Amino acid sequence: MAAPWVSAAPRTRAATRTRRRAHLTSSTLRFVLLLLQAIIFLAPVYWMIATSLKPEGDTVAQPIQWYPHSPTLENYARVLTSPDSPVVRWTLNSAFTSLAFTFGTVLTCSLAAYAIARLKFRGREAWFWFILSSMMVPGLTTLIPSFIMMLKLGWIDTYHALIWPSMGGAFGVFMLRQFFTGIPFELEEAARLDGANSLQVFRHVIVPLSKPALATLTVFTFLGAWNSVIWPLYVVHGDMATLPAGLASFQGIYATTYGTLMAGTTLTALPALVAYLFAQRYLEEGLTLTGLKE
Amino acid sequence: MSLSLNRPRERPRRGGLLALNDANPLVPYLYLLPHGALFLAFIVFPILFGVYVSTHHYDPVATTQPFVGLEYYRQLFDRQSPQFDLFWLAMRNTALFVVLSVPLLVAYSLALALQLYRPVRGRAFFRAVFFLPGVLSWTVVGVLWRWLFDNQSGLVNAVLTGLGQDTIPFLTTEGLAWVPILAATVWASVGFNMTVYLAALSGISQSLYEAADLDGATSWAKFRYITWPLLSPTTLFVTVTTVLAAFGLFFQSVFITNAGPNRSTLSVIQYLVSEAFTNVQYSSAAAMSFVFAGVLLVFTAVQFRLMIRDIGGRR
Repeated sequence: MAAPWVSAAPRTRAATRTRRRAHLTSSTLRFVLLLLQAIIFLAPVYWMIATSLKPEGDTVAQPIQWYPHSPTLENYARVLTSPDSPVVRWTLNSAFTSLAFTFGTVLTCSLAAYAIARLKFRGREAWFWFILSSMMVPGLTTLIPSFIMMLKLGWIDTYHALIWPSMGGAFGVFMLRQFFTGIPFELEEAARLDGANSLQVFRHVIVPLSKPALATLTVFTFLGAWNSVIWPLYVVHGDMATLPAGLASFQGIYATTYGTLMAGTTLTALPALVAYLFAQRYLEEGLTLTGLKE
Repeated sequence: MSLSLNRPRERPRRGGLLALNDANPLVPYLYLLPHGALFLAFIVFPILFGVYVSTHHYDPVATTQPFVGLEYYRQLFDRQSPQFDLFWLAMRNTALFVVLSVPLLVAYSLALALQLYRPVRGRAFFRAVFFLPGVLSWTVVGVLWRWLFDNQSGLVNAVLTGLGQDTIPFLTTEGLAWVPILAATVWASVGFNMTVYLAALSGISQSLYEAADLDGATSWAKFRYITWPLLSPTTLFVTVTTVLAAFGLFFQSVFITNAGPNRSTLSVIQYLVSEAFTNVQYSSAAAMSFVFAGVLLVFTAVQFRLMIRDIGGRR
C-alpha cells in the first residue's frame, strides 16, 4: 500500500543529524516516562511484600514506614501455622486440581480437535459448529445449575467439583483445531504410507508439530484454573478450599491485621508469579495466537 | 494436495465395528468421546437445566418442583417485587463500571503499546512489569488494593499526606469508591490488552512510517493516518473482550469496597450469587443469570463474529 505523500527526495546530511538528535532525546524521554509508569505498577507489589515483613504494630504506624524498619518473618510463621488457614493444604489442593484439570483439558481437547481437523466422518462440521456456538453462551448461565448438580452428585467439598465441570469447555478444541488444520497434509501422507494409523499420526506427526499451541493452551488453562475464584468459593470450603478461595476467607479472619493478611496475599501470589517467569514466552505468544492477528 | 509417489496406497485392513483400525467408521467418534461427554454433561446439560430451574420453583431437597413459567423473570421487571430494586441497582452499577473502565483500559493499553513497540532500553523488562499483575488471582488483586486505599494507613493516603493533602476516605465515599476499583482493574488487566496491541503494531509495515518521515509527517499525523486506521480491527477486538470482562465485575468490589458504601458498588454477579447462595433462591438467581446473559450476548455475538472471520481466514 503506497501512501499518497511518498516522495523520493534524498535526505540532506544536516537533516539526518537533526533527526538523529531528536530521536535520541525522544527515546530518553520515552525511557523516563516508562520508568515512572513501571514504578507505579511495581509499587503495589513492593508494598505487599514490605507490609508482610513488618511487625503487626508497624503496619499502621504514623508516620508511615516506607520500608520495614525491623523486618520479621513472624507474619509468615503465623499464616503457615494458623489452624484457621491451612495454607499448605490449600496450596496442595490448588496444585493438584489445577494440574489434573489442565492435563485433562489439553488431552481431551487435543483428541477432539484432531478428529475435527484431520479425520473424515459424518457430522464433523455440525459437531464443530455446535461446540463452537456454546462459546457464545456466557459462562455465568451455568453457575447456578452446575452448583445444583454438584449438590445432587455429592461433589461439594470434593476435588471432583474442581476438576470436571469446566473441562468440557470449547475454547481448547477451537484453538487447537485452528492450529492442527494448518499442518500440511503431505507430512501426514508420508506417515500413512509407512503404515501409521490415525493414533500414530496424532502422536508422531501432529503433537510434535503443535508444541507451541499445546504449550500455550497448557499455560492458559493452568493459570485460569489456578486463579479461578467464584466457583471454588462456593463448591469447596475449609480444608478442601483452593489457595485463592482460602485467601478470601482469610480476609474475613485477618481483616485488620495487615501484616498477616499481606503475608497470606504474598504466599497466594507467589506460585502465579513463578509460573509466569517460566511461561512468559508462551503467555505472550498465546495472546497473539488466540487474539486477532492482523 | 497431490501425492508424489506412484506406488498405490495400501488399503487399510478391513475389520468389524469392534476392530480399532482406521477402516472402522466409528474411530473418529472415539477421539471425540472424552471431550464430547464432558461437554454434554457439564456445559450443555447445565444450560438446559438452568432453563428448567428458572421456570420452576426449584428446591433441591423438595420432592416436587412446581412449574411457575416465567414468574421469576416477571419479578425482575416488577417494581413491587423484593428483587427489583437491588437487581436494577446492581445492573446500573455494573453498567457504570463498564462505561468508566473500558475507555480507560483500551486507551491506556494502546498508550503503553505505542511506548513499547519501538526499541527502547529495558523493553523486555517494561513489558514484563506491565503484564505481570495480570497473572495474579482477583482475590490477591482485591485484598492488596483494599489495603493500598485504606482510609487511614493505606499507601495512597500516606502519599497524599506526604504531599501535604488531607487523607481521602476513598472506600467509604459514594462515587469515590470507584477510584480504587478502577485503579485495581487497570493495574490487573491492562497488560493483556497491551500485548494484543503490541502484536498488532509489529504487523504494521515500517515502510509506511519511513515514507511518512520522508514527507515530514509529524508523529501525530503518523498515528492518525497510519497507526490508528490499521489498528481498528484490533481496537474492536480489545474493546469487545474488555466490555465482556468488565461486565464480570465481582471480586474488585467484593474485596475492595464490599459493595459499599450504601451498596453503590454492588455488582450484578455479587447480587445474583447472594440470591442463590445466601438466600437459597436458586430459581430467582437462575432467571437473573439468563437476563444478564441476554445483555452480554450482544457483545459475545460481536466477538463471535470476529472469531468466525478468523476461522474463515484460516481455511
